Amino acid sequence: MTEQPIYLFKKGELPAGQVRKQVVGTCALAVYNVDGNFYATQDGCTHATASLAEGEIVDGDLIACPVHDGTFHIPSGQPMGWPCEVALRTYKVTTQGDDVLVDLSQEADEAAGGI
Amino acid sequence: MSQNNTPLPERLKRRPVAEALARLDRMMDLDKGRMSRDIFWDRDIYEQELEKIFARCWLFVGHESQIPKSGDFVSTYMGEDNVIIVRQKDGAIRGFLNTCPHRGNKVTFADLGNARQFVCNYHGWAFGIDGALKGMHASEAYEATGMDKNEHSLHPVAKIDSYKGLIFATLDPNAPSLAEYLGDFRYYLDAIFDMDEGGTEFIGGCVKSVIQCNWKYASENFVGDILHAGWTHDSGAHAMVGGSVAEVHKFPDQSYQVNFNGHGWEFNQDIVGNCATLGEKDLLKYLYVLQPKVAERLGEVRSKMIGAISSCTLFPNTSFLPGQNTFRTWHPRGPGQIELHTWTFVNKSAPQEIKDKWRKGTMMTFSPSGVFEMDDGENWEYSTKTNAGFVTRQQDLYLGLGQNTRITDTDLPCNVFRGQINEANQRAFYQRWMDLMKASDWDDVPQRDIPTLPTTSAKEAA
Repeated sequence: MTEQPIYLFKKGELPAGQVRKQVVGTCALAVYNVDGNFYATQDGCTHATASLAEGEIVDGDLIACPVHDGTFHIPSGQPMGWPCEVALRTYKVTTQGDDVLVDLSQEADEAAGGI
Repeated sequence: MSQNNTPLPERLKRRPVAEALARLDRMMDLDKGRMSRDIFWDRDIYEQELEKIFARCWLFVGHESQIPKSGDFVSTYMGEDNVIIVRQKDGAIRGFLNTCPHRGNKVTFADLGNARQFVCNYHGWAFGIDGALKGMHASEAYEATGMDKNEHSLHPVAKIDSYKGLIFATLDPNAPSLAEYLGDFRYYLDAIFDMDEGGTEFIGGCVKSVIQCNWKYASENFVGDILHAGWTHDSGAHAMVGGSVAEVHKFPDQSYQVNFNGHGWEFNQDIVGNCATLGEKDLLKYLYVLQPKVAERLGEVRSKMIGAISSCTLFPNTSFLPGQNTFRTWHPRGPGQIELHTWTFVNKSAPQEIKDKWRKGTMMTFSPSGVFEMDDGENWEYSTKTNAGFVTRQQDLYLGLGQNTRITDTDLPCNVFRGQINEANQRAFYQRWMDLMKASDWDDVPQRDIPTLPTTSAKEAA
């Protein structure tokens, strides 16, 4: 069952290499711009209390947690660096013209094969 | 740059200052050049030095060139207190004790690096570069039982400031400003750290070694002891340049000791004498070409100090050699040991091949295997170790060279003495040491030297 994608922001509002927190309903998301491609994951780190949106995008497409510097692969949500062991929930992001949209009912395509 | 981190968090309650040791007064009679050996051996005196010298004075903690970017940090020591000095996002520099407020482990083991956070190895407490506790492993357990993270930041140093690229910090919130602490000695510091547009930088990393000596033997040597060079370093000089050290005692004119607040510099006006011991002719040429420009910038006297036979100590335990370009801190490790940290400094705008030659030169002369460092270490170790003898340590030492050499009819600032072969600076160093060891707080420290340069702030004075 697919829900209607929800509008997040205009493309130009989040420059490449940056991440920001966006709350959609009761769901806190970290939304990323990786080289012009947009992704979304849960904002909370799966290891300890931390907002990933306060972290930094490193090594191209990894998010480094601001607390313990563990890393996740942004497109797939997979844990890459200790102490992160449990994958992030990802959300499918699409674009329509200038609009960036998220579908809370679907994982990112990159995550689907890996879980 | 100036950052006042007070008020101190409640967690660190400083104990009332220990009462000055009763026998201090009998330990020195500097007018007669007499001093006790106890100050190099006695454990109780050492413990009070940690409190009244190292937890009170402004100490060198790094060079701005080591930490240019946000998150760049060095870890170093203030006495035996391990500290992190880190560049902030807004460009300011802050300092913290390198210890986790949870169970006390170090939060970084690196000497230098770039960090997004400092995470304790023990329980995963994580601190931002601003010192704030950001989170920890098993954070849910803390959240379930109640804890205010704001109460558990890294402990900041009391004050941190810089002068001409040199960063200093103090652990005493009642310390005077850095400008007051350095006072008129800044006039001479400019001869080295502001001789050239763009200032200086450290190159090539830190070289460390351990010497089994009291820290004051190293500091007093650099504060004013050129006397030893002609004897101690004769063989080293022959190895480096094929001849003896210049006989500076035969030329007391245009040769000085100057001191202020216990800082001291002995120097002559030969422009390149120290540099010549590195055996690199291109360095001499560099200094000779630079000297007239420095004369325009800072005047004739200081322009002739840029590589001259000279040495300097900033009270209490940081020293450098113009011309040989070694910069060092003698970290105390008990009364009988120091951990020596050294760097090579150069003018930022100097050509790369000149920088490389200075780095090679410091390695050949003032590294653990350097021809001069080895000579010095041996002397200081046995000046310290002889005091293991119960009777030996009760014999007073002599520090009386250069009585009645004070010059008053001079335009040079600070306390000025004729002839660099002298022990006036050493006596001033130990007078400052004694003043601090007797004082209950900074207000109780006699102000023997009155600054004439502005002391509102280091930056404004710059």
